[in-house]
Amino acid sequence: MKTLDIIHSEHQALAAVLQALRFVVDEIRSGKRQPDFRLLAAMVDYITQVPDKVHHPKEDNYLFPKLRDRSASAAELIAVLEAQHAEGYRMTAALQAALIHYQSIGEKGFAAFDTLVQQYLDFNWKHLNREETELLPLARTALSAGDWKEVDAAFSANFDPYAGAEGEFAELFHRIVNMTPAPYGLGAAD
Amino acid sequence: MAELLKLEDVWAGYGDAVVLEDISFALEAGGSLALLGRNGMGKTTLLATLMGATHFHSGNMSLEGRDLAVVPSHARAALGLGWVPQERDIFASLSVEENLTVVARPGPWTLARIYELFPRLQERRANMGNQLSGGEQQMLAMARALMVNPRLLLLDEPLEGLAPLIVLDLLRIIKRMIDAGDMAVILVEQHAHQILPLTRQALILERGRAVYSGDSETLRNDRGQLDKWLGVGAH
Repeated sequence: MKTLDIIHSEHQALAAVLQALRFVVDEIRSGKRQPDFRLLAAMVDYITQVPDKVHHPKEDNYLFPKLRDRSASAAELIAVLEAQHAEGYRMTAALQAALIHYQSIGEKGFAAFDTLVQQYLDFNWKHLNREETELLPLARTALSAGDWKEVDAAFSANFDPYAGAEGEFAELFHRIVNMTPAPYGLGAAD
Repeated sequence: MAELLKLEDVWAGYGDAVVLEDISFALEAGGSLALLGRNGMGKTTLLATLMGATHFHSGNMSLEGRDLAVVPSHARAALGLGWVPQERDIFASLSVEENLTVVARPGPWTLARIYELFPRLQERRANMGNQLSGGEQQMLAMARALMVNPRLLLLDEPLEGLAPLIVLDLLRIIKRMIDAGDMAVILVEQHAHQILPLTRQALILERGRAVYSGDSETLRNDRGQLDKWLGVGAH
């Protein structure tokens, strides 16, 4: 069941970036920090690109169809999760636009960006939690050893929790780690 | 690969108190071992025993066939043991580069190679040890141990207390260190799911005794064993 480990690892990588984004935005809102638009852009790019290009396609194309075939009770949950994936794309597109606007007009653009960040964080925690507490346990019991072999092979061919299959996001993740202020990252604390 | 480290029926502890009971395992040159267990089960004591910082009661412990138990603790680094303790113990009054070069010994791990693995340390090379963040200090502690060019590197909970972003970055670095195969690595961690994908072997300690000794892949897929011996730390 390498698939479950891979999904869990990718959730952890995404959650780590989301946690750091929340910290940075909280600091800007409280006036403790000026916005670092290079960092904010890198974070928004990561949470847009990696779920879209690395994480969701594996679930949508391999795990969901197999689970739908094997478990009648999975259909409703999968429909919800697929809808959430689509909603996630819409929300990150809005987040990108709000960030560009914030950078263009300055401080007055922060409130709209902040609102979208908080909405996205709430949405994503709920989505990750639903996959961790409902999808993965259901998959663990519903799929056969043969099913896992098939799904594991597809997942293993496209695995790196933060770098992407070709390592294309490794540099982006590394830059986020280096720019995020301590203690959440390796950047300067003030 | 040739056998590097071998423990047979090792009993050790502090003074008369026995912490480790009947520990046996072997590690080949360039191998990797995840040392797992809940808090207080003897993981750090096992590393301390390898470094000669405990009372060795009985058993056999050898490094490349040489009896390690009779080697004084101060001479074990020269034999090829490198230890990164939880406390990190970096020199606060030395720069990053001085911290690295002061302990350097000849071997495949050079300053250039260290900076290639830890680019952040190169950026911070002129900063003093006490000017580093927690994550940077952990990187420096690991890099300094590599500069000794050990044949066996002991990492004691290198991820403890660090933010998730930094943990993921360090896991990537540890994987590169293990994959390079220049030395064997024993990695102590409470969170099995993070390190089992990196190591070939695993050992679980429960109240000072080994309750699992085998390959990491098997343990990784055995939720029964993970839940039984590690509980929440398994996931």
